Amino acid sequence: MAEILLDVRGLTHRYAMTSSRSVTALDGVSFQIRHGEIFGLVGQSGSGKSTAARCIMNLLRPTGGDLHYKGVDLLDPKQRRENRRMLQTTRQLIFQDSASSLNPRMTLADIITEPMVINSVKPPRGSMRAEAEFQAAKVGLSPSCLDRRPPELSGGQRQRAAIARALCMEPELLIADEPVASLDVSVQAQILNLFRHFQTEHGFSLLFIAHDLSAVHWLCDRVGVLFHGLLVESAPTTELFENPLHPCTRALLSSVPLPDPRRERQRRLERFDTDTLPAAETLREVSPEHFVLKED
Amino acid sequence: MPLLEVIDLSVSFDTPGGELQAVRDVSFSLDAGEILAIVGESGCGKSVLCKAVTRLLPDTARIKSGSVVIDGLSLSSMPERKVQKLRGQLFSMVFQDPMSALNPSLSIGAQIAEAVRVHAPCMKRSEVRERVLELLSLVGIDRAADMYKLYPHNLSGGQRQRVVTAVALASGPRLLFADEPTTALDAGLQTQILDLLRDIRQRLGTSTVLISHDLGAVARAADRGAVMYAGKIVETGTTEEIFYDPRHPYTWSLLLSLPSRAERGRKLHSISGTPPTLIDPPSGDAFAPRNPWALEIDYEQSPPMFRVTDTHFAATWLLDPRAPKITPPIGGNDRG
Amino acid sequence: MRHNALLLTKKLIIFLAGLLALSMAVFCVSRMAPGDALISYYGERAEKMSPDERSAAEARLGLDRPLHVQYVRWLSGAARGDFGISFMYKTDVLSLIRSRLGNTLILGGSGFALIFFLAPLLGILCTRLEGRWPDRLICRLGAVSGCIPEFWLSLLLIALFSVTLRLLPGSGAYCVGKSGELADRLEHLVLPLTVVVLSHLWYYTYLVRSRLLGEVRQDYVLLAKSKGLTPRRILFRHCLRNIMPSYLSLMAISIPHILGGTYIVESVFSYPGLGTLSYESARYKDYNLLMLLCVLSGASVMLCSSLAQAVSRRIDPRMRDGTPVSGEARNDG
Repeated sequence: MAEILLDVRGLTHRYAMTSSRSVTALDGVSFQIRHGEIFGLVGQSGSGKSTAARCIMNLLRPTGGDLHYKGVDLLDPKQRRENRRMLQTTRQLIFQDSASSLNPRMTLADIITEPMVINSVKPPRGSMRAEAEFQAAKVGLSPSCLDRRPPELSGGQRQRAAIARALCMEPELLIADEPVASLDVSVQAQILNLFRHFQTEHGFSLLFIAHDLSAVHWLCDRVGVLFHGLLVESAPTTELFENPLHPCTRALLSSVPLPDPRRERQRRLERFDTDTLPAAETLREVSPEHFVLKED
Repeated sequence: MPLLEVIDLSVSFDTPGGELQAVRDVSFSLDAGEILAIVGESGCGKSVLCKAVTRLLPDTARIKSGSVVIDGLSLSSMPERKVQKLRGQLFSMVFQDPMSALNPSLSIGAQIAEAVRVHAPCMKRSEVRERVLELLSLVGIDRAADMYKLYPHNLSGGQRQRVVTAVALASGPRLLFADEPTTALDAGLQTQILDLLRDIRQRLGTSTVLISHDLGAVARAADRGAVMYAGKIVETGTTEEIFYDPRHPYTWSLLLSLPSRAERGRKLHSISGTPPTLIDPPSGDAFAPRNPWALEIDYEQSPPMFRVTDTHFAATWLLDPRAPKITPPIGGNDRG
Repeated sequence: MRHNALLLTKKLIIFLAGLLALSMAVFCVSRMAPGDALISYYGERAEKMSPDERSAAEARLGLDRPLHVQYVRWLSGAARGDFGISFMYKTDVLSLIRSRLGNTLILGGSGFALIFFLAPLLGILCTRLEGRWPDRLICRLGAVSGCIPEFWLSLLLIALFSVTLRLLPGSGAYCVGKSGELADRLEHLVLPLTVVVLSHLWYYTYLVRSRLLGEVRQDYVLLAKSKGLTPRRILFRHCLRNIMPSYLSLMAISIPHILGGTYIVESVFSYPGLGTLSYESARYKDYNLLMLLCVLSGASVMLCSSLAQAVSRRIDPRMRDGTPVSGEARNDG
């Protein structure tokens, strides 16, 4: 089995609303991502998926838990300072909304090569321009787009630029927070193909955060299900889709729309009531690699 | 006679770059009690079509030609004052984002009551209240009396969309236009809202035009579907015909690119290239440059609507008797 | 209830601390500024005094003590309600200010009221006619009038209406001996009021206009339209209502701003209000007067911003509940 790249243990994050009240976005979430693996994190909106991504990228300081990436403790400022360059270059994040996460006043060429400029990496293909062209070709952007700015492009083109920007540092771990949610199906297919291609060709690991379970089913090797900040179940993809154990996972799976009128109209939503969730639970391994949150 | 009939509707926007033809010669009709889904990718003109039919277009747009007839009334030639009287009463709208579609500083009871009172100004206060509570329970909101005083920010996304639907149904319209009503919601809530639309049709006989980019939503809610590409309807048929026996290459591509149809590990079908710009659109079939099944004539002449069955039409030269026979990638055999 | 009392106490403490800091700053700055305080008390005579006479005079006014002693003395007086005497007018500063406050309130208050009502009216007009000639005209005129400095506009109006045309009086609040006559007062008010309104109105109109135009483009306007509401009703019941919290709180904050604007106008028109008084007190180093005026202005700024907060909390349901926008976090099933 491949070596563990990212180790998340007991990750907890609370957003303080006022001095006395807070909202728990993540509650003791643990999972591992191995080298060359695509791990899917699914859940309803508000279940804490994006918070997890932000904690892993050190954009948020979690209130509790341990985060280790390639043996570096991500929550220890000293270790982080020592490995700053490695962390900045080998971890990359792609946001859902490329319309607001790309600077509208920069050209695509500048956006794509900005991480190299910031980290003063010498472009391996001679010039920054050549590098931008190379990366753009890799994600299927035509070179004519490179001189344009994000507002002039379509959503799919912008998302590809965001991916190209992330890929130019040749990351080992790519964190994609709902990268296809705002895209049309045909473009979504291109982006998903692209992720799969990079995994098989370049062997990078991907944390794929999504609420669209059909995309997760197609793309991911293993899946974790988040519910109200708790990781209720995690298993290899086929195992999870064929044998969901937690009622919350079953409810989530029953909500996947099917592009097939007859089957779709027979699909019944499984209701899942938050109140039935027992208070004290621990994650148990029921079959190899299949973990479920169960009562003690 | 159909409840809604749209004939040869064309809508253009005046942009600095020139005239943008957002909707080009679109015709369709809808019978009473029917749910029609108009499906297409962003920028295909489906939303503009909906706004043009309901006369809610911004000032920069103009309807170049065509007519819209709802229940025998010609909407396209009617002055705005009269259309305003019909809104809510004859036809009504549900919008994409339920958060921004509700006024944040009015209680939801007040917003629904307002919609009730517009077309029944003489109604008594207590009657209005009764009607609002009735509407709230109709759209599946429990404890309606408690909800009356709440504000939009107190509700969850799904509840908000139910309230928007209640507002739309307030004056008992015969026709509902739902513009991407489920896009901003979680999958489970999407299903609930779509079921609500069907439920309302069942109970009140309201016809619905459902605008969506989501084929799953179409499969669940619609009786008939119309696929739009680059401002034109390229295929229309019953939902079964669209999903089990599609004839237009664009419909094939859309269905093939869904990850839920694909085998795990197999590459997803994707449509190469980008949609054409609708400023100065191509003269032939707009999909031709991205179409692996394109014929030469597709680049020169725009195909007419070919009849497949009495309900099923598609605009592709592949249906011309002179066209070479090809095996469609989807459907064909399991019709019905 | 207890929570409220606690909150109020907290606010009060912050308020008093703010005033204390302000008074300290004004005290130090005014003493460090160049100039001779004795001039304000003794006038021309101060320049001819011998060094001995000077130090005696300074001792008499308490100006010979170290700075911190002077401040503590002022502070303990102020705590008892004794703010000292004005060097220039040789009277108690509190009664001096009281006698002038009325005039300023008449000018500033009527200016504020006019702006308060005219700005939404013009803003609505512009929104209804967006892009058409009345909108463009109002925008252009507003931009021009907003850019003209107040003193210059004042001089222009005085030159035009009182010097050349001799239609309106160009200075003072009333003619000598006619202080009780309303018509005379109003006549004197026209020009300064015009300046106050013209120089501020544009800013608020533009704000209402841009906020309204933002609201008109919201989705809920489409929903309101689809209910069958008339455009006018949508504008008044929905859009205007939604910008009211921010408009009202802005207006509350701007009370000191508009009053401050009258200070300049007052001094150009020699209008006997607080503006003229503060100008004189700063110029001639009338310390006690200056201190009280500054502290009062500071207090009014702080009070008005608390007022603004309270107003927006009352009007906006999202702030009234104190609950954050819940978002999608809840399970709808």
